[in-house]
Amino acid sequence: MSWPKLEPRKAALVARRDLRDATSELRLIAAMVALTLAIPLASGSGVRTLAAFGGGTAVVNRLALVGAFFVVFIPASFSLVLALESFVGERERTTLEVLLSTPLREAEIYAGKVAAVLAVSLTLCYGGLIVYCLVTFPGLGYFPLAILLALALSTICQVAAMVAGAVIISLNARTMRAANVMASFIILPMSVVLQAEAALILVGRAEFLWAFAVLMALLAVVFLRMGLAGFSREALLSREVGLRHPLQRALGAVRASFEHRPAFLQLLWMRREPILIAAAGFPIGALAGYLAGLTSAVPSGVVRPVLTSLVHSAGAGSAFADAVAIFSHNVLAFVLVAALAVLTAGLSGFFLTFAPGFILGFVAALSSWAFALSGILPNGLVEIPAAIIAGGLAIQIGAAAIHMDGRGSWSGRVLAAFADYVRALRWLVPALAVASLLEVFLG
Amino acid sequence: MLRVEHLAKRYGDVLALQELTVDVEAGDCLVLLGRNGAGKTTALRCMAGVLLPSGGRVTVDGIDAAEDPAAVRARVGLMPEVPGLYERMSARAYLDYFGSIYDVEPSLRKRRIDDLLEMFDLADAGDRWLGTFSKGMRQKVALIRATLHRPRLVLADEPTSALDADSARRAWTYLKDLQKDGCALVICTHSMDEAETLAGEIGVMSAGRALAVGSLVELRRASGLKTRQEVIELPTLQDIYLAIVGNHAGNRDELAETRTA
Repeated sequence: MSWPKLEPRKAALVARRDLRDATSELRLIAAMVALTLAIPLASGSGVRTLAAFGGGTAVVNRLALVGAFFVVFIPASFSLVLALESFVGERERTTLEVLLSTPLREAEIYAGKVAAVLAVSLTLCYGGLIVYCLVTFPGLGYFPLAILLALALSTICQVAAMVAGAVIISLNARTMRAANVMASFIILPMSVVLQAEAALILVGRAEFLWAFAVLMALLAVVFLRMGLAGFSREALLSREVGLRHPLQRALGAVRASFEHRPAFLQLLWMRREPILIAAAGFPIGALAGYLAGLTSAVPSGVVRPVLTSLVHSAGAGSAFADAVAIFSHNVLAFVLVAALAVLTAGLSGFFLTFAPGFILGFVAALSSWAFALSGILPNGLVEIPAAIIAGGLAIQIGAAAIHMDGRGSWSGRVLAAFADYVRALRWLVPALAVASLLEVFLG
Repeated sequence: MLRVEHLAKRYGDVLALQELTVDVEAGDCLVLLGRNGAGKTTALRCMAGVLLPSGGRVTVDGIDAAEDPAAVRARVGLMPEVPGLYERMSARAYLDYFGSIYDVEPSLRKRRIDDLLEMFDLADAGDRWLGTFSKGMRQKVALIRATLHRPRLVLADEPTSALDADSARRAWTYLKDLQKDGCALVICTHSMDEAETLAGEIGVMSAGRALAVGSLVELRRASGLKTRQEVIELPTLQDIYLAIVGNHAGNRDELAETRTA
């Protein structure tokens, strides 16, 4: 997987212009200054007031940390607006064609625009964090440097991931309104991520935040890579002309997506990269689960009821009923993973293998690897390869959804990826049936 | 300089351009005429290396636009129909930005910007934001931007549609000067005056096809119009154009044969 060539000076030219544009409006500058100064000042003062009026040390310390989290996050959300505007805004203002007609490479335009948004957002985030630290921590007798550093790193990565995701949306949207609607695909997953981060901050253990920051960094790199690879002049300027007979066109597209598709084994070879990514999900999940188990990252109060309900549901009826329940559960998971692939840019495919890996590793940490493996054998020998294939094809659906290509339409590419998934299910569903029988009768 | 062979462009299931073949030598000017939606803008975008052809081949200075589009774009100055200026930039800053993208040396860039702003009566407005410019002023800035790096080929889509008669004449003079310096021009226009003033060759397009390509004399012959109706004088380009496009609507196949290369 090679990175496209780019001349940093050219990317810097684009970045400088976009930066100048973003900071040329007085209202925008006022909002930026308010975000950078007012919110941290107010939050920091609030924490100090609580400390001065005798708030408990533990409460004050926790509040000081959560305050830092909010101070950093609020300006980070600003990046989303700027990034969404980057391409679709130029398209609406009719300046895009001129930019695309220059000798600038796609990578230079993309990198320049991402850099401009990142520069604004990160300046605000770190400006706010510095102001907050200066207001809050002197004289408090508490300065959680490791956590603040981890927070700073994860913020860069979160902002980079958000920006990269928003730029992908901006590349694909035809109007600003459409881009705003599509931004939900970033806001909703990001809100889940932020809740997780807030919980980790409240737990107050820096190592979890570092692990979280690394995960965010990986996500940011993947999104940036996707944006770089997916940026196509051709797709930005080409348009599907005409919307005559939309229903007939849709049916025709579905029909066409099933025609001339590769046979199963050929498909596996063609999609070997996403399948390898899905395959990596299992050991990564196992490692993450094992570490989570060893460090008691997941409170036992959460683990015990989940594991108990899993054990109960597995042995609730006759052997045949159990097999049917396992089979239908797995088929449902496979269907949901495909359905969610477009919304999650294929991450659901990765989680199809990551999640069982995590449970395996977690159980291994609480008992032993031998015990944990005995729980997934022999059915796992069929089930896990099926999950890897399904996961890989779901990742491919997500990649088709966010990839730009002037040749062929977006809907055509996504439908073709779905058609491949549906065709693969002809092999995978029987495999799941076999796996459920193995699990009940031999497991 | 510019060689277009059997160029075709498809958007989804719509064929926007088909079988376009033209040659433009250095210092020549090809004017493309045609109704709205005839495929002129798509043709320009393909020639500029912005869109990749679905079929056929485009070469500029011997460089294949499909193989090295960035090199083609570096040799071309594209002036789209809409000026597409950054509203919150001054004219000078805007031109300087594009000059630096095209690697025009800073002192040369400054000199050219000053000279061209002067030539187009924009010197006094050079430090104003482009958002405050009139339609005509914007079009002048767009023309300066497209030619600032002295491209080998200028592709302009209706370059004078928003200009007053005097400014349009000045723009034509400027384009003719570029031609004398060896720059090739391809211009899309609805103005027959502009076409007659600039064109060495004229291409008449309809429904994505070139119905006829040739000099004014060749097209006059192909149109079958000997003299202008009612008045004893040669038919104007307007008459010829309407005859070609009108005939095309009536009998497409017959007219395709009148195409001259």
